[in-house]
Amino acid sequence: MNAAALPEARAGARVGWPVVLLAVLALAFLAHISVGAKTVPLFTVVEALVDPVDGEFDHIIIWSLRLPRAVAAVMVGAGLAVAGALMQGVTRNPLAEPGLLGLLYGASFAVVVTVGFFGLAAPSWIPLIAAVGALAAAALVWLIAAHAGGGSTPITLILSGAAVTALLAALVTLVNLLDEQTFEELRVWLTGTLAGRGVETLLWAAPWMLAGLVVALGAARQVTALSMGDETAVGLGVDVARLRLLILFAVVALTAGAVAIAGPMGFVGLVVPHMARMIFGHDYRLIVPTSAFCGAIFLLVADIVARMALAPIEISTGIVTALVGGPVFVWLVRTRL
Amino acid sequence: MTEAVWERREGAVTFRLPKRAAAVFALMIAGLTAVLVVSLMTGTYPLDVSGVLSTLFAEAPNGTAETVVWEFRFPRTIVALLAGALLALSGATLQNVTRNPLADPSLVGVSQGASLAVVSLIVAFPGVHPAWRPIAAFSGALVIAAIIQLIAMRRTGGATMRFILTGIGLAAFIAACTQGLLTYGDIDRAQSALGWLAGSVHAATWTEVGWLSACTALVVPFLFWASRPMAAIRMGNDAAISLGVKLRATRIALITLSVALAAFAVAAVGPLAFVGLIAPHIARRLARSGVGMHLALSAASGGLLVGLADLLGRAAFAPIQIPAGIVTAILGVPVFIWLILRTQSRQQL
Amino acid sequence: MAIDDDLTYQCTPQSGSSAANVGLIAEGVSAGYNGTAIVKTFDFAAHAGELTALIGPNGSGKSTALKAMARVLPVLAGKVSVGDLDVHRAHSRTVAQSLALLPQGPIAPEGLTVRELVAQGRFPYQTLLRQWSANDAAAVDVAMNAADVSQFADRRVSDLSGGQRQRCWIAMVLAQDTPVLLLDEPTTFLDLKVQVDLMQLLQDTAREDQRTIVVVLHDLNVAAAFADRLVMMKDGRVVADGAVADVFVAARLADVFGLEARVISDPESGRPVCIPVARS
Repeated sequence: MNAAALPEARAGARVGWPVVLLAVLALAFLAHISVGAKTVPLFTVVEALVDPVDGEFDHIIIWSLRLPRAVAAVMVGAGLAVAGALMQGVTRNPLAEPGLLGLLYGASFAVVVTVGFFGLAAPSWIPLIAAVGALAAAALVWLIAAHAGGGSTPITLILSGAAVTALLAALVTLVNLLDEQTFEELRVWLTGTLAGRGVETLLWAAPWMLAGLVVALGAARQVTALSMGDETAVGLGVDVARLRLLILFAVVALTAGAVAIAGPMGFVGLVVPHMARMIFGHDYRLIVPTSAFCGAIFLLVADIVARMALAPIEISTGIVTALVGGPVFVWLVRTRL
Repeated sequence: MTEAVWERREGAVTFRLPKRAAAVFALMIAGLTAVLVVSLMTGTYPLDVSGVLSTLFAEAPNGTAETVVWEFRFPRTIVALLAGALLALSGATLQNVTRNPLADPSLVGVSQGASLAVVSLIVAFPGVHPAWRPIAAFSGALVIAAIIQLIAMRRTGGATMRFILTGIGLAAFIAACTQGLLTYGDIDRAQSALGWLAGSVHAATWTEVGWLSACTALVVPFLFWASRPMAAIRMGNDAAISLGVKLRATRIALITLSVALAAFAVAAVGPLAFVGLIAPHIARRLARSGVGMHLALSAASGGLLVGLADLLGRAAFAPIQIPAGIVTAILGVPVFIWLILRTQSRQQL
Repeated sequence: MAIDDDLTYQCTPQSGSSAANVGLIAEGVSAGYNGTAIVKTFDFAAHAGELTALIGPNGSGKSTALKAMARVLPVLAGKVSVGDLDVHRAHSRTVAQSLALLPQGPIAPEGLTVRELVAQGRFPYQTLLRQWSANDAAAVDVAMNAADVSQFADRRVSDLSGGQRQRCWIAMVLAQDTPVLLLDEPTTFLDLKVQVDLMQLLQDTAREDQRTIVVVLHDLNVAAAFADRLVMMKDGRVVADGAVADVFVAARLADVFGLEARVISDPESGRPVCIPVARS
């Protein structure tokens, strides 16, 4: 009796966490808006958000530039973190992540090619194109890994992900070189950046990411079962094939939305779920929502660092996430494989 | 069934050499010569064979031909061939020492370490003579190799896929550092570093030819010397010791050699991806041979590969020049995938 | 740069001649990993013309002792010698001409043929300039014949079965042409018939060439059937050393292995055989 009651008790003890996460997120969000070329006091930020005054310079900056960027960071961070958490649960691979398994570059490649060659630059199309690219890359990576010597293990998955990413990166550079004019703007986007995202892009990506998030939250309970092995999950009454399909949809939709906004932002999906797992244990009912929060916070902070570290020069946010993610990856390889 | 070999069993020098390997090597040398000639002919100012030959060995048909061949195309082609050979030798050495078919300087972070050091040099001291680049590259690559050694090789000697994964993680980290540096750096200097980072030989001049040849001449004899202990190390650490190899010292020497080879190539042409991975496998497919001959064949394959990649990059979308690094990556990934597919499961962890 | 290659060429000992009557002696050897001794004050002697088997339960240190004697592991204390050669002090290449080791799970480089693999055993006799002398060719042929792998000479090692592959490795250490041979569990993972053939090969080699052969074995009955002498280890120490009939007794198996077994004598060969006792 006691043992069975324990998980409930632990969950009960964590009732306070949503409040803490929400508070930290709010703080990071406000700090993110306040920081920049011209630092705006936190008080002004709150004032601008709650009661904007027309024509007030700081308020204009906040509403037209900084707020969209902060929202973009929240969306991309949460989306990629949840996608990573789902992939890690379903593949039982501690290193699974949209970037490492080729999805980010698949989506980016699709976007670069369609925008460059077919002129489909309308933000409404980009999430769909990105989704198709991410799906194709995922399928390719999985296909290679499944046919490798030892079958689809964490290691073969990562290696085929690296192979596909290397090929797509080379092709993207090739396309870039062929038509330098068109790609001037895309080049910055390709390093993973949150700068200069229009509100329109955010609005077109939002439904995709929302749908992905809803599916993720709905399926979280079953992911926990699946993370204990296919047979265990079947034994517990999970329809594994259907669940995998649902998760695939969620991962692709979240990744596509994130890529449409920020380009290939690596390692967010790797770092954040592990962070969440360290604090909140292994129940995906908790991991999925907390990963969303932590991902948003992580990317807000990373973007603050990207803008502040070498001020007044701004580095790509993707560089910051890779600087954190590379060592985390090496650490995971050492301890988890 | 017995394959044809040349043997000499008596006297001060004895050897055993499969004839097929020797024939393949001769063919490759012919191929390298062909690539050199075609490379001298190709470009926005096309020349025919006789034009190239007379420019090289007699009087140039005109001043343009003289300049184009001697000042631009010749040094560029030589650098491509040399860098390809060095990268191939580096990959072959690394694969033998770690007994890992996927070991490649650009995959495990050694090339990235060299790149970071060179980009730092370009951005921080733009005026410094380019001959400092190989020294910077070597130091940077050596530091990374030491870190990899510390993190991944201690228990298993690098034979595992974990070693490759550690390298991939490290490479991502270092690449991010380089990117950050480029953003930080002055835009003009960053531009010059950026062109180099794409893995291009197009800016190569006689200066590069000079110091790259010097580095090659410095390192390759050591490698020739090391080919014998390398053959023993391929069979496992215990077996190598039992055959009389001083394992620790030899391993360190070989890894240092491999790092130096990759670093010098990277200093000249930037991080050309996958050459160190593919060339040794091509050499192995074409002819079986002992380690020494395999190294020679790998070097020739690497030279051919980068020479052809540069040629292709110049000709395919002319007048746009595609850096050789892009071409080698596109050619290299299928080979990489093929290697993943045939990797035995026992090697995985 | 300490790459092992001196250009002075030494005379190659011919098979059988130098091998006579040189034994292997370990005195007070302690060895282990990371400074912790797994083998403690290990005293051991193996004689020419004999097949000596090292047996003991898992973790008893038998493989560690073998590795220490083969200088794959440094010794923390003590001395190992072959004739008047100090294994841990002498030039590694000189030692390799007197003592060969077949490690557990050796690695065959991709695409190597049997002949090329066996030829690797000639490493300690070769130099950069003299890579393939008449002596080398002769020793490789002799070794391949002895190990009965000549019919595979030009096939790839990776295409052979486990038993055939193991014979190739044995041919490689035979080609090293050393008076002392150490083998670390050469029969593990092989079928019983293949194990028996391999052990017969080792026994013949020891007797006919007057070589000193030390084998770490897992299977007690195989050890008892083929060894001339048994050395039993427990907790890093030698607990029994002597003729098979003296060492291989029920009481000692119970003591060292914790194994409840009857030991009976094979009526044909007189060799002891152990039969585990089932609790009824």
